Amino acid sequence: MRKRKLIDLARPSRQHWLGYILLAPAVILVAAIIAYPLLISIDISFQDVKLPRMGAARKPFTLENYQDLFSSPEFWHTCWVTLKLVVVVTTACLAVGLATALLVNNRFRGRRIARLAVALPWAVPEVIATVIFAWIFDSSFGLMGWLFIKLGLANQMVAWFSDTTAAFWVVATTMVWKGYPFVSIMCLAGLQSIPEDFYNAAKVDGASALQRLRWITIPSLMPVLGVTMVLVVLWVFRDFSIIKVLTDGGPLKATQTLSIMTYNEAFGFFKFGYASAVGVITLLLCVIASMAMLGRGSKAMY
Amino acid sequence: MKARFLKAAAALAVGAMLATTALTPALAETLKFVSWQKDEKGVGDWWASVIAEFEKRHPEHKIEWTKVERAAYADTMTTLFAGGNPPDIVHLASFEFHSFADNGWLEDLTPWTEKSGLNLDGWSGQKACNWDGQVVCIMMLYYGAIFAYNEEMLASEGVAVPTNWDEFLAAARKLTKDTNGDGIPDQFGTGHETKGGAGQYLAEMASYLLDAGASYTNAEGEVTIDTPEMVEGLQRWKTVISENLSPRDLSAGDIRKLFADGRIAMRVDGPWLYSIMEQGAAKDKLKLAKVPFDPPLGGSSNVLAMPSEIDEEKKELVWEFISIATSDEFQSSFAKLAASTPPSPRADVSAAKAEIPHFDLLVEAQQAANKAGVDRIPVGLEIPFNEFSKMIQEEAQRMIIEDLDPAEVAKRMHEKAVALQ
Repeated sequence: MRKRKLIDLARPSRQHWLGYILLAPAVILVAAIIAYPLLISIDISFQDVKLPRMGAARKPFTLENYQDLFSSPEFWHTCWVTLKLVVVVTTACLAVGLATALLVNNRFRGRRIARLAVALPWAVPEVIATVIFAWIFDSSFGLMGWLFIKLGLANQMVAWFSDTTAAFWVVATTMVWKGYPFVSIMCLAGLQSIPEDFYNAAKVDGASALQRLRWITIPSLMPVLGVTMVLVVLWVFRDFSIIKVLTDGGPLKATQTLSIMTYNEAFGFFKFGYASAVGVITLLLCVIASMAMLGRGSKAMY
Repeated sequence: MKARFLKAAAALAVGAMLATTALTPALAETLKFVSWQKDEKGVGDWWASVIAEFEKRHPEHKIEWTKVERAAYADTMTTLFAGGNPPDIVHLASFEFHSFADNGWLEDLTPWTEKSGLNLDGWSGQKACNWDGQVVCIMMLYYGAIFAYNEEMLASEGVAVPTNWDEFLAAARKLTKDTNGDGIPDQFGTGHETKGGAGQYLAEMASYLLDAGASYTNAEGEVTIDTPEMVEGLQRWKTVISENLSPRDLSAGDIRKLFADGRIAMRVDGPWLYSIMEQGAAKDKLKLAKVPFDPPLGGSSNVLAMPSEIDEEKKELVWEFISIATSDEFQSSFAKLAASTPPSPRADVSAAKAEIPHFDLLVEAQQAANKAGVDRIPVGLEIPFNEFSKMIQEEAQRMIIEDLDPAEVAKRMHEKAVALQ
């Protein structure tokens, strides 16, 4: 009698198993890398932990970190700053990214150089870009202050990082500069997948350029824009280095986002339990925002 | 036959292995030493000399010296300790070791000092290492601030080297100017870090507060911020920053570089400023003098410690390393190589004095600060120091940004400091 194989991948009903088997090591590894720290973080957020210790005995369960967090004006202020930054940076990145994508999607001389120029900020490492912006906006010797004086917009150097409003806009500008090329590249890919027939038909019907943008380009791009928007929102939520290098969350916490607050509470004030609670709330907010936007984006396509 | 041969060979191999293991001396250890000072000119060279001496005395053991940038240092050390993998030789800043000690991660060095006979009487700043009845570290630097100035700038404005706050303020006002006529000041009377770490922000403010007679806490650790002296000190800080007598929003590193390159006229700083001055474009015009504030700013800087959880054999080796670093010979060479005041009272600083023209100034400042009990970390606020310094920084920034009355600010700082305690 012929011995049956334990896992016969040749059988039609088992053929899809091969895919799962090949994916399993990567999935297990990613789960271990992501899920384990996540579970540890959630666990610590329910303990009164100052400095954690791997393998140390678990401290009693407490909701104190969350109670402190929700009753802290600093937390709500930080949420407000994060929301402002997410809205401003995402909107500006989408607007500039889409505009530049539409521009370089046209045929004109020097298009390749223009495409390169549009994508260039994406290639500059984040910390280097931030240091460049820190010098551009330097309050004593910066180019921007000099420009403001020469243009008559200010009569003395602007203390960009000593003013809560100015510091916020410097951070937002830097993030937009660094973030828009990603939107541009994604939109350009999306634009090139829109059939030319749509535009030809619209032209025959007498649609203007604005109408073609409104009724063909934008709706066709919505799936791309939806995913891109989610990725940009998540990037703004979790971005750390730009704010850390430019302002460290200051002045007066005017640029302190949830990620900066998490870092400061953990490594600045050695309050890991509290910091983990901030991290868990940030994660929940990111999940909610992503789900809301992905649903909306996928419904909007033709 | 083959099986019997294989069995015999295996038995022989196991026997040989056991025999060689029994004969092998103690395994060579590699001690991990993490520091932010590795590539620093002067003090980095001194650490290298201590390591070389250790490896000379113990050729079978090695020290693996790794540099971690200061900005990422607290994070890295926290992660290493939290992961149960601390460095064997623990090097920490004096404002950050308390949390590690409070968690029980640092060895009580009292038995080690007693066993080796290390006399810590008169050791500058060592009092700061006493934590919860234990000696958890050895102070490696307690410094007094020096006053550096650009002689040419002062002479061109007919300004004498200031000797008190009023003269300093008058000089700073006179020396802040637009030198190229574009309407933008490009030369500054003094320089302070106003952006970045809260600990450094406190150090920048400290000279004005100390000179006004203010302190954050008294010797018993009670908060003493809401006082007329503190109000005066805060007013001085507000004046210097609000009148733009210092460039705004720069880090201490940028400020030191601007001073060394001749864009800032006066700077109060630690002994490390000298090596930066020596590399600046204006180095020939830069001079040193006594700080025009009394008492001068001083403070503990960095400490050596031992993790409590490493095995006894490693502890012996770490203590050997600490013993070399704290020996009279190496404390004397510290003065010369690091161009700083060594904490040991037994260090022979004659070679340093012969080579470094301003060394007497450093010693004088260190002694004056030590005598006045000046330190960057207020008594009673060691554990929440990072939170405390952040609070002070923010309230001081608020005072300047919103043009608040220093009396109101001192009151709020006081309340918040008490709450932190």
